[in-house]
Amino acid sequence: MAKVFLNGQPVEHPHEVHEHISPMSTYNGVIGALFVLTGLTFAVSFADLGPASLTVAMVVAFIKATLVVAYFMHLKYDDKFHLFVFLGTIIFVGIFFGFTMFDMKSRDALNDEQETFVRWKEQENAGKGLVVGVDNVPERRAKVLAEIEAHGGGHGGGEHGGGHGGGEHKAEAKAEHKAAAH
Amino acid sequence: MSTAVQSQDPHPAVEPSYLVSKRGLMSWLVTVDHKRLGLMYLASVMFFFLIAGILAIALRTELFTPDQDFMSAQTYNQVFTLHGAIMVFLFIIPSVPAALGNFFLPLMLGAKDVAFPRLNLLSFYVYSVAAVFLIVAILTSGLDTGWTFYTPYSTSTGTAVITATAGVFIAGFSSILTGLNFVVTVHKMRAPGMNWNRMPLFVWAIYSTAVIQVLATPVLAITLLLLIIERSLGIGIFDPAMGGDPVLFQHFFWFYSHPAVYIMILPGFGIISEIITVHSRKHIFGYKAIALSSVAIAVISFVVWGHHLFVSGQSELAGVLFSFLTFAVGVPTAIKVFSWVATLYGGSIQYNTACWYGMAFLWTFTVGGLTGLPLSTLAIDVHLHDTYFVVAHFHYVMVGGTVVAFIGGLHHWWPKMTGRMFNETAGKWGCLLVFIGFNVTFMTQFFLGHQGMPRRYYAYLPEYQVMHQVSTIGSYILAVGLLWTLIYLMHSLWKGEKAPSNPWGAVTLEWQTQSPPIEHNFHETPHIHGSPYDFPEIDKSAGALHH
Amino acid sequence: MSNEHAHAPAHDDDEHNPHLAHHFDTMGQQTASAKLGMWLFLATEILMFSGLFLAYFILRMLYPEMVLEAHEHLSKWAGGINTVVLLTSSYTMALGVRSIQLGDVKKLRLMLVLTILCGCIFMVVKYFEYSAKFEHGMLPGKFYSAHLHGYEIDGLPHIFFGVYFLMTGLHGVHVVIGLAIMLWMFVRAGRGEFGAKNYVAIENTGLYWHLVDLVWIFLFPLLYLVK
Repeated sequence: MAKVFLNGQPVEHPHEVHEHISPMSTYNGVIGALFVLTGLTFAVSFADLGPASLTVAMVVAFIKATLVVAYFMHLKYDDKFHLFVFLGTIIFVGIFFGFTMFDMKSRDALNDEQETFVRWKEQENAGKGLVVGVDNVPERRAKVLAEIEAHGGGHGGGEHGGGHGGGEHKAEAKAEHKAAAH
Repeated sequence: MSTAVQSQDPHPAVEPSYLVSKRGLMSWLVTVDHKRLGLMYLASVMFFFLIAGILAIALRTELFTPDQDFMSAQTYNQVFTLHGAIMVFLFIIPSVPAALGNFFLPLMLGAKDVAFPRLNLLSFYVYSVAAVFLIVAILTSGLDTGWTFYTPYSTSTGTAVITATAGVFIAGFSSILTGLNFVVTVHKMRAPGMNWNRMPLFVWAIYSTAVIQVLATPVLAITLLLLIIERSLGIGIFDPAMGGDPVLFQHFFWFYSHPAVYIMILPGFGIISEIITVHSRKHIFGYKAIALSSVAIAVISFVVWGHHLFVSGQSELAGVLFSFLTFAVGVPTAIKVFSWVATLYGGSIQYNTACWYGMAFLWTFTVGGLTGLPLSTLAIDVHLHDTYFVVAHFHYVMVGGTVVAFIGGLHHWWPKMTGRMFNETAGKWGCLLVFIGFNVTFMTQFFLGHQGMPRRYYAYLPEYQVMHQVSTIGSYILAVGLLWTLIYLMHSLWKGEKAPSNPWGAVTLEWQTQSPPIEHNFHETPHIHGSPYDFPEIDKSAGALHH
Repeated sequence: MSNEHAHAPAHDDDEHNPHLAHHFDTMGQQTASAKLGMWLFLATEILMFSGLFLAYFILRMLYPEMVLEAHEHLSKWAGGINTVVLLTSSYTMALGVRSIQLGDVKKLRLMLVLTILCGCIFMVVKYFEYSAKFEHGMLPGKFYSAHLHGYEIDGLPHIFFGVYFLMTGLHGVHVVIGLAIMLWMFVRAGRGEFGAKNYVAIENTGLYWHLVDLVWIFLFPLLYLVK
C-alpha cells in the first residue's frame, strides 16, 4: 500500500526534494541592485522634491522589497500558496491602512466643514485649557497658552459636536489648531 | 429518548487510550498529545468560565434594586470589566478552538497529531502565563476600563491597566500559535483522500477561525503594546492630552476585536453543522455553501470594524461605509442558518441532548443575528448605542451562540473524549434550564435597552426595576442550569456507561476510532472515499433505526 | 519551527529517518509544514509592524511640519550605513541557504558567521545612534527634553521620537532575536544536523532574517530620508 501522501494526495517520489537552487549570479545581481537602489534613494533625499519625495522613496522601497522577497526569500520559485499567504497579508494590511486613513482624512474634511475640531475642543471642555506638550516642558506649554490667549482662546465649557456656527469661530478654531500644531 | 446506535467497532479496545497510555502528572504537564492538551485547555477555560460567571451573577445581583446595594460604583466598574475581559480573552476565544478544536481537528482529518505538537504545548503555557497576569491584575488594583481598554481613560485610570493588557497581549500570542498550527495542520496533515470537499464542516469553521487568528491578533498585540507604551511613556499616539487621537486607538483595537467576534462564533457554527447533520441523520444541506460562507465571514469580518465607532467621533462618511459593509455579514450568516434548517427538514431527528442544544442555538443565534441589523443601521444605532440593547445582542450571539454551541459540542463529543455516556434525561433538563434562563435574562435586556437603560450603570431609575429583576432571576436560572450540567457531566466520569466508539452513528473520522481514542488516534491511517455526511446504512433503511 | 527530534545525520529512507517526527509520514510533508508555518508567522510579523507604520503615517498626516523638522535630527549616514550592513547580511544569509542546499556545511557556517557579524555591526551603529539621542534629550513622550539641550523643534516632537524609538526598537529586538537564532543554527550546523536534504531550519532562519531586512527597507526612508 502506498504510504506516502501529501495534502491528501498520493506523492509519486516522496524522497525527492524539489528545491530551486539559484546560481550565484542571481544573488550577486540582486545585492548589486539593492545597493544601487539604496544609493539612489539616499541621493534623492538631498534633493528637494517636496511631497513627491514620499512617493519616490516608497516606490524604491517597494522595488527593493520585491527583490528581497522574490530572490532571497525564494518566493519566485516557491510553493505558490506561500505567495498567496504573503500577498494576502499585504491586502489585509491595505484594508487596515485604507479604512483607518479614510476615516482620518474624511474626518478632517468634515470637521472643517462643520467647524468642529474634536481633538482640541475636547481638551478645552475638560476645563483644563489646552494641554499640549508635556509635563516637563513648561516653556512650551506657556508659549502655546500665550498664543491661544492672543487669539482669544480659552472659551472652555461649551458643548462640542455640532452647533458651533459662526465664521469667526471657525477662524478661531483653526488658529488654535495651528497654534497647537506648531 | 434516543438509543445509541451501536456500530460495529472495527478495533476492539485492546490498546490503552490516550488517557492512560502514559501515567503520572509529568506525563500531562509535558505532553504534546493534542487530545491531552485539548482536555487541559478544556479544564482551564471551564475554570475561567466559572470565575467570570460568578462575577456576572454578582453584577446581576447588584442590579436587583435601583439603588446601590453591596458594590460601590468603582467595584461595579471593576467587576464588569473583569467579567468581560476574562470571558472574552480567557474563555470564549480559546474555548472551542483550543479545547474542542485541538482535540478533534487532527482526529477529523485522520492525522496523528497537529503539525507542530510542541508549539501546541507552548501555546498552552503561554495561555497560562497570560492567565497569571490577569489574575495578578485582579488581585492588585483591579481593572476598570471595560474589556476594550479605551483611551484616554485607560491611560489615566489608577488601576492595573499595564498588567492586564500585558496579560491580554500574551494571550494573543497563544491564540496566534494555535491558529498558525491549525492552518498548517489543515493544509498539510490531511489523510489520504481527504480533499477540501470531504473535510467536515467543523474543520472548515476552525480553519476560517485560525485564518482570522493569524491575521488579526498581531494587530491586537501592537495595539496593546502601544497602549502600554502610551501609559508608561506618554508618547502621544492615542492620548489626546499628549497630542494623540483616541479614536485611532478604537480603529486599532477593533481591527482586531471585530474579527475576534468571529473567532468566537465561527467555531460554534462548525459545531452546529456537525450536530445538526449527525442527529438528524441526513446529509448536510448545502455543504459547499456552509463551508465557503465560513471563509466569507472570515474575510468580511475585516472590513466592518467601524460600526463600533459610529458615535465615537468617526467621520460620518466612514460611518455610512461601515454601516453598509456590516449588512454584508448577514448574507453568509443567513446562508448557514437556512442550510441548517433545511438539513433538519425531512431528517430522522434524534432528539437527544446535543440535538436540543443545536435547536436552542438556532433560536438564540437567530435572535442575536437579527438584532445585529438594527445596530448596524447607522441612524438607529445612534439611539441604541451603549444601551442594554447592545448588551443583549452581544450576549445572544456570544452566550446564545457560542456558549450554547460549545456545550452542545461538549455533549456531542463527550463519549469520544471521556469514553463515558452521560445521562440523557439529566442533560435535557440542563438544556431546558439553560435555554429558559438565558432567554429570560437577555430577552428582557432588549426591552430595557430599547427604553433607554444605558449599559455599565450600577444604579438606575426605578421604572426599570421590574425588568432588571426579571433579568436577574433569569440569570440565576441560567446559573443553576450550567451548574447542573457540570454536575451530571462530572458524575458520568465515574458512573457513566462505557461509550461505544460511535454512539450517534456519525460518519466523520473521529468516530471511526475507539472511545476514548488511542494515543496515535488511529490504528492505521484512514483512507477517505466520500463525504463526511453520507449516512449509508441510515439513508437506505431510514426509519428502521428511528423508532 | 523545525520538528527534528534526533541529532543523527540525514538518512535517505524516511521510514527510519531520525529527522522525521513521529506524526509526519514523509520528510516532504514535514518540510512543507515547517515552511508554511514560517510564512504564516511572517504574515503575523508583517501585520504587527503594520500597526507601527500606520501610526507613523497618521503622525505625518496630523503634524507634517513637526515630522519634517524632527526627522532632520536623525543621522542619515548612520541609517544609510545600517541599511548597507543589513542588506549585506541578507545577502550572506541567502548564500548560507544556498550553501546548505548544495550540502556545504562549512560554507554555511562561514556565511552564518558573516551574517551574525553584520547583525552585530548594525546593533553597534544603533547603539551610537541611540546614545546620541539620549544625550540630546530626544526621548519619547514625557521624557522628551531636547529643548533643555538647546534643540528647539516646533510642535509636538515627543510623538515623533516616541514613534522613532518604538519602530527602531521593535526592529532592534527582532535583530537581537535573529542573532540568537543564527548562533543556535551555527552550533547545530557544527553538530552535523543539516544536510542537502535536511535544511528547513536554516531556510526558515533565513526567511526570518530577510523579513527583518524587509522591515528596515521601509523604516529607513520613512524615518531618515523622506521630506
